Amino acid sequence: MYGWIWRHLPGNAWVRALVSLMLALIVVYVLFQYVFPWAEPLLPFNDVTVDNGMAAVR
Amino acid sequence: MTTSKPSGRRRAASVISVVGELLITAGLVLALFVVYSLWWTNVVADRHATKAANKVRQEWAGTPAGGPARGLDTLDGIGFLHVPAMGRNYEVLVKKGTSTEVLNEGVAGYYTEPTPAAMPWDSVGNFTLAAHRDGHGAKFHDIDKIHTGDPIVFESKDTWYVYKVYKILDQTSKYDVAVTDQVPEESGRKKPGRYITLTTCTPVYTSRYRYVVWGELVRTQKVDPQRTPPPELR
Repeated sequence: MYGWIWRHLPGNAWVRALVSLMLALIVVYVLFQYVFPWAEPLLPFNDVTVDNGMAAVR
Repeated sequence: MTTSKPSGRRRAASVISVVGELLITAGLVLALFVVYSLWWTNVVADRHATKAANKVRQEWAGTPAGGPARGLDTLDGIGFLHVPAMGRNYEVLVKKGTSTEVLNEGVAGYYTEPTPAAMPWDSVGNFTLAAHRDGHGAKFHDIDKIHTGDPIVFESKDTWYVYKVYKILDQTSKYDVAVTDQVPEESGRKKPGRYITLTTCTPVYTSRYRYVVWGELVRTQKVDPQRTPPPELR
């Protein structure tokens, strides 16, 4: 998979490394900005209030 | 290069290598999620909370004492909670509501459901609060450092409300809504009074149980023009 991406990037090894780094940063940005904030409330790690079970899922 | 047609064996090998790479990727994503939960959400929440706290301080400074009724500007926050046991200069802004959106701003929220909180200036009732144990500012991270007898001080625009901790429940069910009752009988008190309740999750990094700290109002003190803190905070 990563080998396939590497082969399909343009330029020489340095350009490919740079583009790979940028792609990785974009992925991290998307994860931090969109995916994790969406996923976090669905996971049972950070509920701090007492409730009757009805309002638990927000 | 894949110019030659791969045999069945080579095809199987490439499938396995893709699966392996996906597993490594999943591991990295999970590690990043931990970084996000325990570090990045704190950065974002603290930035947010500092701004919100400064806004409230500015509003207080801008309006003369005894101006609009206390607690009307609940959208921005009603005041600050000081807990010396959690740090010498510990203070956290208190806002209305305990929804995820409110608490994720790095503040403490007062309950509006299932049992609405009484305000500190009400003649009787329980001022019930919640905040994050980890991530999103982690304002109640050190709640286990609070001991019986420690002071908890709430600062409104014009009054310091000094509470004294009298009971700690270090583990209870998350459905134990009775801890936020206006007369919190689980803490041993049977008569209406002016109580404060702090709730958060426990043990750290999970939310299997709830941790509860109860306090009782000892005295109030008018805020002077210099906002001199009461002796409990010095």
